[in-house]
Amino acid sequence: MSLLLKTHYRLAYDSISQNRTRSFLTCLGISIGVAAIILILSLMGSINRLISNQVKNVGTDLLVVRPSTAKTSELDNIVEELTATNQYMRSNLTLKDVDTIQKLDEVAAVAPIARFAANLTTERQNDDGTSYSHTVESASVVATSTNFLQIQGLTLHSGTFFSESHTDLIPAVIGKGLSLSLFGSSTPVSKVFSYLGQRFIVVGMLAETEDPINFSSVDFENSVLIPIDRLVETDNTLQIQQINIRAKTTGNLEELSNKISNELTRNKSGDTNFSVLYGEQITHPAGGLFQVVSSMLALVAGVSLIVGGIGVMNIMLVSVAERTREIGIRKAVGATSSHILCQFLFESLILSSLGGLFGLILGYIIAFLVSIVTPFAPYIDINILGITLLTSVSIGLIFGIYPAAKAAHKNPIESLRYYR
Amino acid sequence: MSAKFFKHRKKTVKKHEKRAKSSTKLDTANAKVQGKLGKKKTTNVEKTATPEIDDDNLIVLRGITKRYGYGDTVSYALKDFNLDVKRGEFIMIMGPSGCGKTTLLNVIGLLDRASFGSYFLNGEPVDRLSSRKKAKLRADRIGFIFQDFNLIPTVNVLDNVTLPLVYTGYGKTRREKTADEILERFHLRNKEYYMPSQLSGGQKQRVAIARSLISDPEIILADEPTGNLDSRSAHIVMEELKTIHSEGNTIIMVTHNPALTVYATRVINMLDGHIDTDVKTVRDQDLPQPISVKFNKKEKTA
Repeated sequence: MSLLLKTHYRLAYDSISQNRTRSFLTCLGISIGVAAIILILSLMGSINRLISNQVKNVGTDLLVVRPSTAKTSELDNIVEELTATNQYMRSNLTLKDVDTIQKLDEVAAVAPIARFAANLTTERQNDDGTSYSHTVESASVVATSTNFLQIQGLTLHSGTFFSESHTDLIPAVIGKGLSLSLFGSSTPVSKVFSYLGQRFIVVGMLAETEDPINFSSVDFENSVLIPIDRLVETDNTLQIQQINIRAKTTGNLEELSNKISNELTRNKSGDTNFSVLYGEQITHPAGGLFQVVSSMLALVAGVSLIVGGIGVMNIMLVSVAERTREIGIRKAVGATSSHILCQFLFESLILSSLGGLFGLILGYIIAFLVSIVTPFAPYIDINILGITLLTSVSIGLIFGIYPAAKAAHKNPIESLRYYR
Repeated sequence: MSAKFFKHRKKTVKKHEKRAKSSTKLDTANAKVQGKLGKKKTTNVEKTATPEIDDDNLIVLRGITKRYGYGDTVSYALKDFNLDVKRGEFIMIMGPSGCGKTTLLNVIGLLDRASFGSYFLNGEPVDRLSSRKKAKLRADRIGFIFQDFNLIPTVNVLDNVTLPLVYTGYGKTRREKTADEILERFHLRNKEYYMPSQLSGGQKQRVAIARSLISDPEIILADEPTGNLDSRSAHIVMEELKTIHSEGNTIIMVTHNPALTVYATRVINMLDGHIDTDVKTVRDQDLPQPISVKFNKKEKTA
C-alpha cells in the first residue's frame, strides 16, 4: 500500500512538473485565498495578543465584573456588544455592588466604569477678548472612582487625579486628544467645561499610552474621567458597565471570583446576569468585536479560496481529458478504478497543499509588511498553521474528487480509442 | 537465453502449478454451462451442438454474444461465439473490418464484458468477476500489444515497461531489475531512459511487447501489432513474437495481413461475429509448452 502511495505521489509530481505554468497558476489561486485568511487570522491574533499583554502589564491580580445575560453563548455576548445593548441598556450593576465588593477582605481596590457619550461645552476666548461657547459632541465620558488610575495602570501627564473633595466644581481628568478638541490646548489643567448644567474643572491630564486597545474598551486619549459619586447625585439613570477589581494577592483569583459572584448574586436576590472575569477571559469580550469582524473577513477570503478550488477542479478536468488515453493504457495493464482515482486525487491534493504552503508564506510576508506601519506584529500560532493545512487539504479533496472519479470511471476501451 | 532469464522463468513454474490446482473448479462450472446452454437449445433449435469443455484448455469461450444498441438498432459484434485455445497456440484472427475481431480480443482481455455467454480462463469462470478482480487478472495474466503501441508519452521506456508491475505491488528495485532483463532481451537496454517519442516505430512496438511480457502473462493479445509499421520493422516484430511463442507463450493476434499467417499455428477467419474458417497448421501435441508444463509432464510420466 505504501508502495502504491509512493508511486501515486511520483506520478502526480511528474504530471505537475510537466505542466509547470499551469500548475503554478492553479496553486496561485489557492495561495491568494490562503494568504488572505492567514493575514486576517494573524491580525486578529496580534490584536488579541496586544490586549492580553496589556492585562499582563496591568497585573495578574485583576478581576472584572461585566453585565451579561446569564448562561448564554459567547456569540450572544458578542452580538450584544455589537448592538451596544450590553453597554447602554442591560447593565444592572450598581454602586451598591461596588460597595459590596469593596468590603471583601481579599480586595485591594475597586473602580466602577460608567461610560457614556455627552456633549461637553466650554467657553473659549477669541483673539479680541470676546468669549464664545464651544461644544464637543458625543465626547466619551467615563465616570469612575478614585482608585481607577491605579487599577487601569494609567499615569498622569500633568496635574492630579480627582480625590473625594467637595467643591462646587466637579473635578475631571482629561485625555490629550479630547483636551485639544475641547480647549484647543494641551495644558487643560484648571480649565472649566460644563455638561448638563454641571460645571467641571480639569485637575489633570492623562499621559499618552502606547497601547491603542485596552480591556475597558475606552479610548483614554479622547475621554474625560469624572468621579462617579458626584455624578450619581444628579443623574440616577447612570449605568455601570464594568467594575474593575484589584485583588490583594495574585493567587486564587478563581476563588475570589466565585466569592464575588456569590456576594453579587445575594445582592441581586438571585439574579446572575453578570459575569466575573479574570486573566485571559478579560481580553476576550474586548476582542469579541474584532473576532466577529475578522471572522466575516475570513469568510469573504474563504470565498476566494472556493474560487481557487474551482480552479483546481478545472485544471484537473483538463488533465483528465488530456490523459484519457493514458488512463486507458493503465487500465488495460491492470490498474483498478481506485488506482486511477488515487493517482488523480494525489495530484489535486499536491496542487492544493502547495498552494496552501505558498499562501502561508505569502500571508506572513504581507502580515510582516503590515506590521511595519501598524502596531500589529505578525502572529504565528499552531492553530493558524493547522487551519491552513486543513483547509488547503480539504479544498484539494473536495474539488479533486469529482475529476478523479470521472477519470476512474472511464471505459478503458473508449479511452484507448481516444485521440487528441 | 541467459541464466538470468531462466531464473525469471523458474519463478513462473510455481505460478503455473498454483493455477493448475484451481482447475478442479471447472467441473462444477462446466455442469452449470451445460445446463444453461441446454435451455438455450430449446429456443434455438438450429444451433450446432456446443462442444465439450476440455479442462486443459487455457481459454474456453462458450456462447459469447456481444450486443450493441436496443430495439431496431441492435447489432451483434459477436454472435454465440465458441472458442477453445490450448496453451502454446499462436492464433491469427483475420476477417473484414467490423466482424468483431477487436471486440473478441477485448472480451478475452477482460476489458469488455460479453452480453451473454461464459468465459473460462485457465478453468476458472471469469466473466462475472468484479472489475477489481478483472484488473488484477489483466495485470497478472494478460499482456496487451496494440496497433498504435499505446506507450505513455510522458514517461520513459523503463517506466513504460514496468507499468504492469506497479499494479501488482512490486517494489521499485525489483521492477527495474525485471525490466532490465526483459529489455536486454529485446536489445533495448541502452534505450531505457529514452522517451517514447525518441524511438522508431519498430522500437516502440518492441517496448510494448516487452511491457506485455513483463508480468509473465499466460496470454498475449495483439491487436494488429504490425499495422503501423514498415515491412522491415514488422518483420522484426514478428520474429520477436515468434521467439516468444517458441518459449511456450500463448499468443492471440488480430491482423489484416495474410502474409503473416505463416507464423501462426492456427488461423481463424471471422465473419459477422462468428468463426468462418478455423485451420490448425500444427498438431496440438507439437505446440511449444512453457517450461513449467513440460516439467509437470515429465514428473507425471516418471
